[in-house]
Amino acid sequence: MADKMVRFIIERQDGPDEKPYTQEFDVPYRPGLNVVASLMEIQKNPVTVDGKRVAPVVWECNCLEKVCGACMMVINGMARQACCALIDELKQPIKLQPARTFPVIRDLLIDRSVMFESLKKIQGWVEIDGTWEVKDAPIQNPYTAATAYEISHCMTCGCCLEACPNVGPQSDFIGPAPTVQAYLFNLHPLGKFDAPKRLNALMEKGGITSCGNSQNCVEVCPKNIKLTTYLAQLNRDVNKQALKNIFNK
Amino acid sequence: MFHTTFYLRRLHSLCGLFALGMVLFEHIFTNSMAMFGPEALNGSLAMMELIPKPIFLGLEVGGIAVPLLFHGIYGIYIALQAKNNPERFGYVRNWNFTLQRWTAWYLVVFLIWHVGYLRFYVKGVTGTPISYELLQNFFTSSPLVTVLYILGMFAAIFHFCNGITTFCMTWGITKGPRSQNVISAVSMGLCAMLCLVTLAFMGSYFV
Repeated sequence: MADKMVRFIIERQDGPDEKPYTQEFDVPYRPGLNVVASLMEIQKNPVTVDGKRVAPVVWECNCLEKVCGACMMVINGMARQACCALIDELKQPIKLQPARTFPVIRDLLIDRSVMFESLKKIQGWVEIDGTWEVKDAPIQNPYTAATAYEISHCMTCGCCLEACPNVGPQSDFIGPAPTVQAYLFNLHPLGKFDAPKRLNALMEKGGITSCGNSQNCVEVCPKNIKLTTYLAQLNRDVNKQALKNIFNK
Repeated sequence: MFHTTFYLRRLHSLCGLFALGMVLFEHIFTNSMAMFGPEALNGSLAMMELIPKPIFLGLEVGGIAVPLLFHGIYGIYIALQAKNNPERFGYVRNWNFTLQRWTAWYLVVFLIWHVGYLRFYVKGVTGTPISYELLQNFFTSSPLVTVLYILGMFAAIFHFCNGITTFCMTWGITKGPRSQNVISAVSMGLCAMLCLVTLAFMGSYFV
């Protein structure tokens, strides 16, 4: 037995409509330990601090290097990636909760498909199939390439949606991440042809007008995307689009 | 596609900053006359009486009642879409977001009382003209009235000043963090100044 233990308080839930409850687990400390590795330890030996053997804690993870976004959960109240949450940098006992902005499937596992639906709404892709000849890929504008690269880091983890006070069951706001993706595709040399379509989609109910400028998104984004800057740019763009809609007919 | 939500939101923003901002400044300007004594306040109230009645009523309805009702009712709808979370995410802007909604709720109640009593009951029903003496009697009648009125002014001033910051974001005027922080600092400075003016003219009724 290791002499040093790390205490976890985990908010669990047996199914989507079940009542949440908490259980506490101890995990042997080791240097460099993170939350995902701790959850793996609990999975190996799912025994609570009271010595009760329980069902292993369910969570989601994939890349383990802050690229895929899958392991987003609420750690000590903060929405963040579990894979890069180092135990040495966390206050103990460590409290783990599912991100309740999304529907909870089980324990820490959430259903984030709403973000995919939102990306469909804002046309988060570049149209390449058509009646035209497909030549070589067009060059990116070198002046906006750095911005596009930055926004393309978005891994739809959902941290910004969890932190945003205007996203949740009480509201239809699609949230910062999918909104800002519209700007990424509007910057693309081919994607910009559909810019009016995306801007018109953002003017719909639940679009950019639901942003309340709390700016939590930019504070919690694990990829340091300047979300509020691009939201302001999109605000500018939708205003211009509205003027076009009014006066171009 | 007619973007009803978009135009309602933008109208809400314009109404708040321009129409209701004007109303707030008019109130602060006229009421601050109380600092220079009863004659100064009664003088500027008499000046307003010089505006012909139909025009005055038109201004009251078009410049105050309609924007206020729209901003208030649509604002309630907006406020209900937020789950305030400053206890989890205690950043300054998130606190301002929460305070914007808390002040809004207070103002809904306060303005029903303020407009209902002073405009509809005192001026409308009893036909008593608003004067320094009337306001002094009212504000000094109970410490509760004094405190609730000062809080009402503070709430309106904060809501307006924070509104300047968010207006600039919503209209895409301030895009980057530097310009947003500058506007935020300027509007919070204005907020502090207007709050001090409020304390000064409210205090002048007691000396």
